[in-house]
Amino acid sequence: MAIYSFWIFDKHCNCIFDREWTLKSNHASGTINSKLNEDTAKLLYGMVFSLRSISQKLAGQGPHNEIRTIATGKYRAHVLCTASGLWFILLSDLKRENLSEVLRYLYGEIYIKTVVHNWLSPIDFAESEAEKRGRGTRKIRNRNFLQRVEEFLGPMIN
Amino acid sequence: MSASTSGTSAPAAASRKSLKAFSEDVWKNKTAKINAELFTLTYGSIVSQLCTDYERDFTRVNNQLYSMGYNIGVRLIEDFLARTALPRCDSLAKTSEVISKCAFKVFLNVTPQIGNWSSNKDSFSIFLEENPLSDFVELPMDAARELWYSNIVCGVLKGALEMVQMDCDVWFVSDVLKGDQLTEVRVKLNRILKDEIPAGED
Repeated sequence: MAIYSFWIFDKHCNCIFDREWTLKSNHASGTINSKLNEDTAKLLYGMVFSLRSISQKLAGQGPHNEIRTIATGKYRAHVLCTASGLWFILLSDLKRENLSEVLRYLYGEIYIKTVVHNWLSPIDFAESEAEKRGRGTRKIRNRNFLQRVEEFLGPMIN
Repeated sequence: MSASTSGTSAPAAASRKSLKAFSEDVWKNKTAKINAELFTLTYGSIVSQLCTDYERDFTRVNNQLYSMGYNIGVRLIEDFLARTALPRCDSLAKTSEVISKCAFKVFLNVTPQIGNWSSNKDSFSIFLEENPLSDFVELPMDAARELWYSNIVCGVLKGALEMVQMDCDVWFVSDVLKGDQLTEVRVKLNRILKDEIPAGED
């Protein structure tokens, strides 16, 4: 069982946090908020965006139909979309069937407590029109946030 | 590639009763409680300080309370969504229900009545029978004319609704502190904001 990476997108279609682990044996390995991941982030966003709109179209007039997981031959993506437009995405191996509790914890206990309740941190990471619609590059850099994400997800990577 | 989806992630179903029970549960089990009087007095001291700072120019005090509320609202909505896991509302009627039964319940432990719908269903009123912000408060003569004591509430609603893509105007219509019969907050939906899509996709 392994977790490969963790991503947060904001409502401006920007990736505001990414964390990728490269070595199963080493919790500290890999990249945080890496420039090299910009293209991957865009592709991941596009994949979720498309499947999300398909699932919502197919649901018709009924209750909301949010995408939860997307499985490919090699990995599974777990998705949490909030009403405020944030997307939390975890990539894991195929053995992990349901990480929605983990995503809810990342949102409710880590993001809320260290970013939203932290008045010195912005909650809107696009500062101008030019940084909206997927063109922004600002990231969450709060020390507490980074530390708590490591503490929480680190033990799950292998 | 295979994909799986879910219905509403929250147990809150369409019926009125379950939303009420659901909010009750969130308030009981997922919300830390504080002394209401401490809250009332803290708010009182903010308003009183603003009145002093702005030399009793109550229009400016109203505006300042509104913008403080806005800044609170844009953050509070995330807290609210994390606690309740509610999806977006598909109608303003549903929104009004969530505001009165869920949001006011969770944050202030009151359940105001909703009413006074406009004929085209784009605006409604919230009747605050009990208002924890204005317990113990009596407005002095000069303030009674212009000051909307609890104006921060309007700002909070404005900010929070904007974050779920609803552009609304929110204002006080009447306040028992001013000698009116009821405390009434009016919410008017201007438009539903569009979700952004990445540049070059449209």
